[in-house]
Amino acid sequence: MIEFLELSKSYGSFRALAPLNLTVPRGEMFGFLGPNGAGKTTTIRMMMGILVPSAGQVRIDGLDCHRESSEVKRHVGYLPDSPIFYDYLRGREILQFIGEMHNLTRTEAVLRTGRLMAELGLEEVAEEFAVNYSMGMKKKLGLACALIHEPSVLILDEPTNGLDPRASRDVQQRLRRSAEQGMTIFLSTHILDMAERLCSRIGIIHHGELVATGSPQELKDNVTAGGTLEEVFLAVTEESDQA
Amino acid sequence: MMQAAAPTGVSAARAVWLLTCLRLKRVANQMTVIYNRPLSGRKGRPATSGKKRNRWVVSGVVAFFMLFAYGNIARQSIVNLHRALDHVPYARSIASGPLSDALVRGLAMQLSLLLVAAILGTLASRELSQPDWDLEWLATLPLRTPMLLLCRIMERSIANPLGLLTLLPAGTLIAWISGYRWSAPLLGAIATLPLLVVAAIARTLIDTGLRMSLAASRLRNLQAVLSIVSVVLLYLVISLGMTSPMAFVLGWAREFPNWGSWLPPGLVVRALNAPQLSAQIGIGLLLIVEVGIGLWGSLALIAHQLRNGVVAASSRETARHSVAMSKGHGTQSTRRMGTVVQRRELKLLLRDRTFLVQTLVLPVVIVASQVIFQGRLYGSSFAGASNAAVASIAFGIASYTLMMSAFQTLNSEGGALWLLFTVPRSVESVLKEKAQLWAVLALGYPIAVFAIAAVIKSQADLELIGLAAVVLLGVPIYTLIAVSLGVFGCDPLAQEVNTRLRPTYVYLFMMLAGLYTYAIFASEWWQRVVLIVLSGLLALALWQKARDELPYLLDPAASPPARVSTSDGVIAAMIFFVIQGIAAVFLRDEDHHLSAGALIVAYSIAGGLTFGLFRLSLWRTKTTGVPAVFGARFGRAAAWGAGTGLIAAAAGLVYIFTMRHLGLMQDAMPDSARGLSAGAWIAVLAIVAAPVFEEFIFRGLIFGGLRRSLGAAPAIAASAAVFAIVHPPVSMIPVFGLGVCAAFAYDRTKLLLAPMIAHGLYNAVVLGYQAAL
Repeated sequence: MIEFLELSKSYGSFRALAPLNLTVPRGEMFGFLGPNGAGKTTTIRMMMGILVPSAGQVRIDGLDCHRESSEVKRHVGYLPDSPIFYDYLRGREILQFIGEMHNLTRTEAVLRTGRLMAELGLEEVAEEFAVNYSMGMKKKLGLACALIHEPSVLILDEPTNGLDPRASRDVQQRLRRSAEQGMTIFLSTHILDMAERLCSRIGIIHHGELVATGSPQELKDNVTAGGTLEEVFLAVTEESDQA
Repeated sequence: MMQAAAPTGVSAARAVWLLTCLRLKRVANQMTVIYNRPLSGRKGRPATSGKKRNRWVVSGVVAFFMLFAYGNIARQSIVNLHRALDHVPYARSIASGPLSDALVRGLAMQLSLLLVAAILGTLASRELSQPDWDLEWLATLPLRTPMLLLCRIMERSIANPLGLLTLLPAGTLIAWISGYRWSAPLLGAIATLPLLVVAAIARTLIDTGLRMSLAASRLRNLQAVLSIVSVVLLYLVISLGMTSPMAFVLGWAREFPNWGSWLPPGLVVRALNAPQLSAQIGIGLLLIVEVGIGLWGSLALIAHQLRNGVVAASSRETARHSVAMSKGHGTQSTRRMGTVVQRRELKLLLRDRTFLVQTLVLPVVIVASQVIFQGRLYGSSFAGASNAAVASIAFGIASYTLMMSAFQTLNSEGGALWLLFTVPRSVESVLKEKAQLWAVLALGYPIAVFAIAAVIKSQADLELIGLAAVVLLGVPIYTLIAVSLGVFGCDPLAQEVNTRLRPTYVYLFMMLAGLYTYAIFASEWWQRVVLIVLSGLLALALWQKARDELPYLLDPAASPPARVSTSDGVIAAMIFFVIQGIAAVFLRDEDHHLSAGALIVAYSIAGGLTFGLFRLSLWRTKTTGVPAVFGARFGRAAAWGAGTGLIAAAAGLVYIFTMRHLGLMQDAMPDSARGLSAGAWIAVLAIVAAPVFEEFIFRGLIFGGLRRSLGAAPAIAASAAVFAIVHPPVSMIPVFGLGVCAAFAYDRTKLLLAPMIAHGLYNAVVLGYQAAL
């Protein structure tokens, strides 16, 4: 379970995230939508302990993401929007390294590395230096890094950016399987179709404020009386601008 | 259907102008990022005051000193050439006016060497082996290839800081001795410009050719070799500016061929030194023609290299061909060694040739070049070198190794640092493991140097063994300092790779490493102990500050909350001693003697001011963990204080008794201490003032700070050691015991009252015993 308790973040006088209160129950796939610069990545980075909250806290499985960040990471897998990898290390080696850093035995790390690379279609490039990967390959390798320790919570920032349609479909299928197995998934995306297909609940953030939450159907019924999710998105972000 | 007319092409001059402006803007933006000072005055997402750091002053000072140093070397080189070539061995300067032909040739050689050093220095930069080649992007602009290349050469001529640093001081000084005096800087700059164009031509010709023909792995190897050659050449040039330059370099100057002075560097010297304006114009025109021909020829050559398009041979290196090799070397050899982080680090070291050479080879080359070209061992052999010289060489190589490796522990994570924030390990533990690895690698050099020295000298005397111990202790201490300064010096949020590391901290590390050589050259054992303990404390204090920063590395706004740290204690102790020293100067009598009364006044002023200033500062910054004197468990603290104080006093009495019986007390006691042994004033100082002020600094701040990072036993031992070394050598041992007892009492009670009572009781008993004798 993920709990946001009055979580906020400011950069000096700029408020990146207004106090956020939200609960994502265990096993839910939650879509976090918003225009560019709305505060999605800031929120996700606070969940990973990369950014420090200005106030409030975010808890994952009851653990404070800032104060108990090492413990939190045992339960969490994370994929950033633009993953960057080490020079001079091959894709396979990076994935194996992350597995061992999660305290997997070498044999287990090797086993899971092979399995994930095959599953995500990275077998062919496993022995290439990851720095030379295309954006799509880097995304897939990042996803493999997020999955290697079989976390109970997955935090994904724009997981299908840079992927070709087939790869994007494969990733979405993988996420759906993970959710069916009980994994909690917190997903930030611009792709409304994907959010509607995958997520049981959606939150829309704008100028650092959560302006709408609910299931895709609830949002469509309540905001636009049966319109599309795109219309919901445009309506709530425009309302917020006017307010 | 009508089609819109295509826009006309940009003119050559405008293209040069635009690309040069772009390069200068990039340099300006890099400076802005480094110094957090937007030149335009606009604000992006503002950071809190905690992340703003003003480094203009420090960097300005560093830049000034670098220009001064290069200027000084250029000046001394010219004087040395004048002495050797004009046969005036004792000349200290050169009278301005026409220079001899021999000196003109010598100066031409000097400028030629500087030019080659500048070219190699720029080629040795990491730009050569970076996967992104900006010419591939520039080639998409609507410019013809020759025009594009011309723009690139012009841009590189203007934006070449290394070239400016090496050539401008020499050009200015040659103009000065040619009689131009205060117009010399301007003429020097004008004369340097064609040489910068030559440097840019050579650089563009070489790096384009290499990029087009060599695979990335070979480029990296070549860059590694160039980084060594450029350092050796730079030291060779610098050696010309030493007070005793190498004879063979002066020999080269004597033998420098006449035709060499008709090449661009020689023509610059000739033009500046020509007696008449017409001759100057003639030589200047010849210089322009030569540079122009070089430019035209190289443009044609580069255009030929690019005839099949701008596609680097190194693009998308798959690395598949080297899988077998890597399995044989990189994987298996590192499989069973160290932790997973250390294995990864070793793997990266073995694969990144530049990193490998810079970390393991360059330190040896730098120190060897310094030793050889600066003439430290010139005229004598390694066998004849003193033990201290051997130790300083050993520590020098280890320091450079640490600068290239341990200092880079955080920086080397690069853009992949986010991965460490996804694993259930603290960044601190990862850095610690990397530090251990680099400490072990760096220790290899001193061990090798001492072993060679012992073999060559056919004996390992006690002095050499003692110095080896000093160096081997210094390496782990300076590893910690390097890692900590590397954390302060690294900006993981910097977009440009080359702005991620702040050079100021590199210089700071080298300065601190230089201070440690005092431990090598110190004449007394206790001076060495003092320096080792102080360096260790500094390392712990810096590491603690660095640790506090680690969770905030990727946050552009947040800073760690203020907590009492070891560095507060170190600063408080320094302020205390400085104020006491200043007060003592003002309180001396006419014969420069300090009475016991004046001493207690100086001590009380220093103690009171330090105590007050720190309390105020800690209160203003809302620092947590500020030591309290009194508290709810007042009685318990008093009892602990009395108990530990009596134990320390008993140990002190045994020590004094033993020392007196061995006849060591009077010999070891300094004159100043003997002169102060009487008087009620000293009793007030020792029993009341010292416990209050010293306990606040040594137990409250230093022990309290250390305790945050260390267990009770090491924190007690370290704080007691620091407390002991600020006392005279004769009392170091019993004072260490007092430090242990006082820290133990404070650790148990968390109130400063306990160590204050222990300290007061110890001083009262010891002084009472000495007075009674």
